[in-house]
Amino acid sequence: MSLLSVTGVTKRFGGITANKGISFEVQPGELVGIIGPNGAGKSTLFEIISGFYPPDEGEVRLDGARLTGLSPDVVCRRGVARTFQKLRPFPGMTALDNVMVGALTRTKDVRHAREQAREILARVGLGEKIEAHGRTLSTGQRKRLELARALATQPRVLLLDEVTAGVDQRTIPGLVQLVRDLHAGGLTLLVIEHNMRVITAMAPRIVALYLGEVIADGTPDVVTHDRRVVEAYLGQAYTQ
Amino acid sequence: MSDLPQLAVSTILLGGMYALIAVGLTLIFGVMRVVNFAHGEFLMLAMYLAFWAFSLLHFDPYLTLVVSLPLFFVVGWVSYRVVMRPIIHASHNVQVFTTVGLSIALQNVALVLWTADVRFVRTDYYAIVLRFGGAAFNIAQLVAFAIAVVFTAALFAFMRWSYTGKVMRATAQDRQASALMGIDTDRVYATTWAVGITCVGVAGVLLAPVYPVYPTAGLQFVLIAYVTVVLGGLGDMAGALIASLVVAAVEVIGSYVIGTAWKEVLYLLLFIAILVVRPAGLFGQRGAELLGT
Amino acid sequence: MRAIAPALVFFAVAGLAPLVVRDAFLLDGLILILMWGAAGAAWNIAGGYAGQVSLGHSAFFGLGAYAAALCGTRWQLSPWIGLLIGALVATATGFIIGYLSNRLRGPYFVLATIAFSQVLLIGASRWRGFTAGSEGIPVPFRPGFWTLGIADKRVWVWIVLTLAVLVYLVQLYLERSRRGYQLAAVREDEDAALSLGVPARRLKVAAIAVSAALTAACGALWAQYVGFVDPVYVFSVDLSVRFSLAAILGGLGTALGPFLGSVLVTTVETYLRARFGGIGAGLVGIYLILYGCALIVMVRFAPQGLVGWIGDRRRHRTAARATP
Repeated sequence: MSLLSVTGVTKRFGGITANKGISFEVQPGELVGIIGPNGAGKSTLFEIISGFYPPDEGEVRLDGARLTGLSPDVVCRRGVARTFQKLRPFPGMTALDNVMVGALTRTKDVRHAREQAREILARVGLGEKIEAHGRTLSTGQRKRLELARALATQPRVLLLDEVTAGVDQRTIPGLVQLVRDLHAGGLTLLVIEHNMRVITAMAPRIVALYLGEVIADGTPDVVTHDRRVVEAYLGQAYTQ
Repeated sequence: MSDLPQLAVSTILLGGMYALIAVGLTLIFGVMRVVNFAHGEFLMLAMYLAFWAFSLLHFDPYLTLVVSLPLFFVVGWVSYRVVMRPIIHASHNVQVFTTVGLSIALQNVALVLWTADVRFVRTDYYAIVLRFGGAAFNIAQLVAFAIAVVFTAALFAFMRWSYTGKVMRATAQDRQASALMGIDTDRVYATTWAVGITCVGVAGVLLAPVYPVYPTAGLQFVLIAYVTVVLGGLGDMAGALIASLVVAAVEVIGSYVIGTAWKEVLYLLLFIAILVVRPAGLFGQRGAELLGT
Repeated sequence: MRAIAPALVFFAVAGLAPLVVRDAFLLDGLILILMWGAAGAAWNIAGGYAGQVSLGHSAFFGLGAYAAALCGTRWQLSPWIGLLIGALVATATGFIIGYLSNRLRGPYFVLATIAFSQVLLIGASRWRGFTAGSEGIPVPFRPGFWTLGIADKRVWVWIVLTLAVLVYLVQLYLERSRRGYQLAAVREDEDAALSLGVPARRLKVAAIAVSAALTAACGALWAQYVGFVDPVYVFSVDLSVRFSLAAILGGLGTALGPFLGSVLVTTVETYLRARFGGIGAGLVGIYLILYGCALIVMVRFAPQGLVGWIGDRRRHRTAARATP
């Protein structure tokens, strides 16, 4: 049975249909990239999966159990965590505190949560920045913090929204490696990504969205040569 | 049913007044994203202006109106510069407490200067009652209504057709984009605030012949104004107009059915109901209340 | 433990003062400081720690006051029972208000809380059969501990101090505990907190309910101490602002802040009232003008309040000492 199954998800906002009949399955341990031009509905899909918006039609299931209709905190406790495209570290709290909030979802003991938070921060490479306030971190560091926070909730599926966006070139390989390591560790990941070089190297499977619909679903090679994907998103020059 | 004309007329006259107060409040929120908790206090100050002009200088309130309009525009402009500008980009809580602080300060300035004694503006023509189609009302109410309507219409025209009005509406829709387009948002805010204060500056003078004047007089009106503004959708001027009539109707019919003592409860309950069921109001954008902005 | 040292000192001084001070006026001042501090701290639980800024907390205070007064007059029960009843009713009301206002943010939430408190104000003023209407209820003085008829101000200090310490401890718990961390997350960014599994909705409602219960307790004690419950005062927006003022001046979201804020506010107020009270009600308004201006100035220049200001100076001094 797939770990995460999205079936016929449709979402309308007034006159705009952001998601139209989106369906795909994610197996345990998979890393699936999600691509598409702006307005394709990628972030909306994440909002729906994580419980922030209810879909107008369709459903999302985790291990066979319905996720649709549950509030975001319940979805997280069930095992789906996410990061936000527009970074939102808790500004007044230190990095350690930030991650502790995530850890406290799984443990009631504050000291235990603190230890776990330290470990995770070290794992994502923020070991030195534990006492720094969310505000003072660079974009790359904030990305790692968001990641650490979400990881602290011990998710079974992690939704990453634009992990390399807004980050300078030097920092990208480090972030990519981090995601790879998480995947190697057995985590199931859904990654929204604009940077084609990054996603084709990282993800064994890519789902392409356009105008709210899935237009391709397969290996990077197949998807990047798919006619519709080329027309809608990549442009002819890409496939040369 | 024979009371219907009276109820209708009372509703319309009252609604017109509420509209003037509400429109200023909703304008300020629409453009500046600030709920002005001190709105009622400026109204109260205008009422006192009318009172003192009347008792010391024997100015008819409608004459005072000519003075209050530019005066309150200036008051608005100055209060923006001194109090509001520093916190215009601050968090909601800071803004809330700033206008609340302003409200308390102004109420008590009035209390200290003029005591808690209730004052009345009793013009000679106050007692004249007009009758029309089965409804009775006094001339002060009618004139207040008429002037309020003219003023509100002028405001709408200004917002719709003047350059400044368009600039204000643009800023209301998208602060950042407006700033990027070269609009001096600070100037827009100052103007918006000043216009909003002018509205209550006018309203206060119009209300003085009809209602008692005392330091906390602003409170009852501002509460009604909040209800109206939320019902019509925070930021929606046309919505505020329609909502004014609805709120006036609730008040008039409510007083008629259950008596004046409990009528405030009626629109408070209406308020709570709106906030719970549809905080965006009749015309506001769904979900606006989730953003709080 | 260094962090709570100032609080220990504060409460110790307050507790020992009655043994040394005999002056009724000073003791009265201390009682009011502790009482408004406790009310401010109770407000702080919802407003400071949970980020649910309410200007309707007088609703809870009034419920507590009325419960105590009605128990004393109408039902011939001990005001202590009144305190319990008031706290229970306030908790229930807090749950309702919290639940109904749950989705509201920013100014919408503030307006909702104001509306709720005004409904209670009007209800209490008009429901003559139950609450003696707008005339208010004079609270009878029957000597004895069980009837809270205590003439000795020193005992009052200790009673109010107990409540104050209780509220302080609740705040402290919020700072250190798991729920406290989660609440702080909700305060900083509710959606981000939700995405991390924090049950934001439940926590907000719980914070308001706890805050309500403690505020009502303050109201009940206040009613017995002052001896008169006036609906227009006890449910007023001014009173709600007063609670928040103590917390803001002292330090929003800090445990000792509201008490420090209360020291400042109550001292100024008592001084002004003693100095000018005889001259006429008009000048009584002066300290309220000061409140208003204090609010405007504080939120702009020192949003961290006294606690933050003191903390900053200490950090500057330590930094200055560190650099050779």
